[in-house]
Amino acid sequence: MAQITESTRSEVKEIVLEFFAEECEVEVSEISEKSNIIGDLDGDSLMFLELIEIFKKKYSLNIELKTIGKYAVKNPVKTIGELIDMQMLIIEHENNILDL
Amino acid sequence: MENKTAFIFPAFITEFTGKEIDFLRNNGLNPTKYLKIISETINIDFPDFTYKNDLFREELTSQLLAYTFSCTYYDVLKQKSIIPDFVAGYSMGVYASLYSSKSIKFETGAKLIFDAYHLLYELTKTGLYGMGAIIGLPYLDVQELIQTSSLSVEIINVNNEHSLVVAGLKKEINILLEKSKEEGALTAAELTVDTPYHSKYLSRFAIPFKTVLNKLEFDDPQVPIVSTYNQRLIFSAEDIKQELVFNLTEKISWHKTMQKLVELGVNDMYECGAGKDLKKISRFIKGDYKLRSAYKI
Repeated sequence: MAQITESTRSEVKEIVLEFFAEECEVEVSEISEKSNIIGDLDGDSLMFLELIEIFKKKYSLNIELKTIGKYAVKNPVKTIGELIDMQMLIIEHENNILDL
Repeated sequence: MENKTAFIFPAFITEFTGKEIDFLRNNGLNPTKYLKIISETINIDFPDFTYKNDLFREELTSQLLAYTFSCTYYDVLKQKSIIPDFVAGYSMGVYASLYSSKSIKFETGAKLIFDAYHLLYELTKTGLYGMGAIIGLPYLDVQELIQTSSLSVEIINVNNEHSLVVAGLKKEINILLEKSKEEGALTAAELTVDTPYHSKYLSRFAIPFKTVLNKLEFDDPQVPIVSTYNQRLIFSAEDIKQELVFNLTEKISWHKTMQKLVELGVNDMYECGAGKDLKKISRFIKGDYKLRSAYKI
């Protein structure tokens, strides 16, 4: 389980914003925590999966994709801010996220 | 190794980028002119293209529209002297790949799409069949769900290691999609088609489709085509006909097709078509290549 520090959220936010800026061909400054992932950024599930792979590597996470899928079905995310919060929970709880 | 280029062609347009028309007009091409040729060829009265016309979302017209955009995009690349070493078409995108390899005329591709659709219409019109997409579950997990639920649904295409396409009876597809979500799929959604392309239900159309193909003119391709059925390279008109039958009636693998292009040394790929579906699918397909939408040139 990764160590969560005060700077973790800003680190996660930076990665998420840069990822979406590159994938969606927009400037980072055009994305905010209120941006709608599908409506504003044309995001998709595969993008979400790719982002999870990035975090799995960065924080050496032990979590199965389908565990995240099960969590996401019950706790859908629509905005970048909600996505960052979900990534924080994934980093903090890994496979135990379903127990939350 | 020498740089190699491939053009890849989508079968459908999930969503327009909104840049398509400007891109074509800026390059002196107008898709409406191409649609008029289709209208004359198969007697369908297409209105002028607009992004929001629902007519273009119907199964046949959406395929014809995807074909039209793919061919016009190819024509832009040709104008700019960008020449492929290989081409490949995703599912019904094969027809635009034939146009780009100079194996068929533009009109012939439209006729092929029209004839294939009408041949299968006895299945389509029942409304009993369909297709679905599952993202986020491994192939073996989906296969197990199919078996344990005693469904006759088939996985008919692997887009990449996290994205599968299934086909079969609509009611069974919906059961599978629900079970997939319960199992942790991030997306499990029905596709807006009533034809179970690439499934066993199409096997009996292989011979009638071959008869249709034998009435049309094909030339040997000037650029090798990679088969989505078994990833062989296609060099002859006769083999094209065989591939078209396989492409309609057998399972395909886009993942393996992309891997084959990478093995062939392709490091520059252009998605020739509206939207960016193939670029999205290319996530998780490993290789040292760059895939860009043709409008990015």
